[in-house]
Amino acid sequence: MAKSDEKNAETGVDRRSFFRAGGGAAVVAAAAIVPGADVALAAESASDRAKPRYRESEHVKTFYRVNRY
Amino acid sequence: MARVKFLCDADRCIECNACVTACKNEHEVPWGINRRRVVTINDGKPGERSVSMACMHCTDAPCAAVCPVSCFYTTADAVVLHSKDLCIGCGYCFYACPFGAPQYPKVGNFGSRGKMDKCTYCAGGPEDDFSTAEFEKYGRNRLAEGKLPLCAEMCSTKSLLAGDGDIIASIYKERVMKRGYGSGAWGWKTAYRETVAV
Repeated sequence: MAKSDEKNAETGVDRRSFFRAGGGAAVVAAAAIVPGADVALAAESASDRAKPRYRESEHVKTFYRVNRY
Repeated sequence: MARVKFLCDADRCIECNACVTACKNEHEVPWGINRRRVVTINDGKPGERSVSMACMHCTDAPCAAVCPVSCFYTTADAVVLHSKDLCIGCGYCFYACPFGAPQYPKVGNFGSRGKMDKCTYCAGGPEDDFSTAEFEKYGRNRLAEGKLPLCAEMCSTKSLLAGDGDIIASIYKERVMKRGYGSGAWGWKTAYRETVAV
């Protein structure tokens, strides 16, 4: 028996199966993250975020008035 | 519909930097970034002029034209905003901007850049209005509160004007009629030239 095989037998973990398991875990993690990322990107719809927010409130009118002094 | 603009009356600016400080405090802008700054031309010489500069929210914004991920958008009242979720920190907008508005936080060694940060005209970003996420990324949304950018509102000499472009232009016109043309509305032709086709 080769030296590395002896080591695997001791730990019970084969190098290839270790990386295969790691890859599977990464896919599961990515699948869990993606729906959350979509929510973060689209907090407001395209029409909502471009809607006008400026309005001539009393506060704004006062600003215009005092700037004419 | 109103088209909002900035106008810095360079004949009134005394380089007090209150606009810079107000902006930084209002939006809790990170260390190393100034969304607005005061530039002085011919400093210390007779006829020196100071201009308060930030993003001018251009009509045909060059930053938006060069962005490879299209993270910029213009609102109906002509405020140019961007999404930090989409920004990749490439720096193209910095080179395209005639006013040097885009800023980048230093996020690590070897010159790595973070998400671009710039003046939002106190209008937040693509997140829900008044949400914590919006405040953390873009700062306060004063426009949605029925107010104007704080830099202009607290300018002690009323040098920096913000609001409906037609109204602030008429205010500036009144001043010019009284005192003469002076140094003009710096940056207006670059940002809002009327020949531009959008």
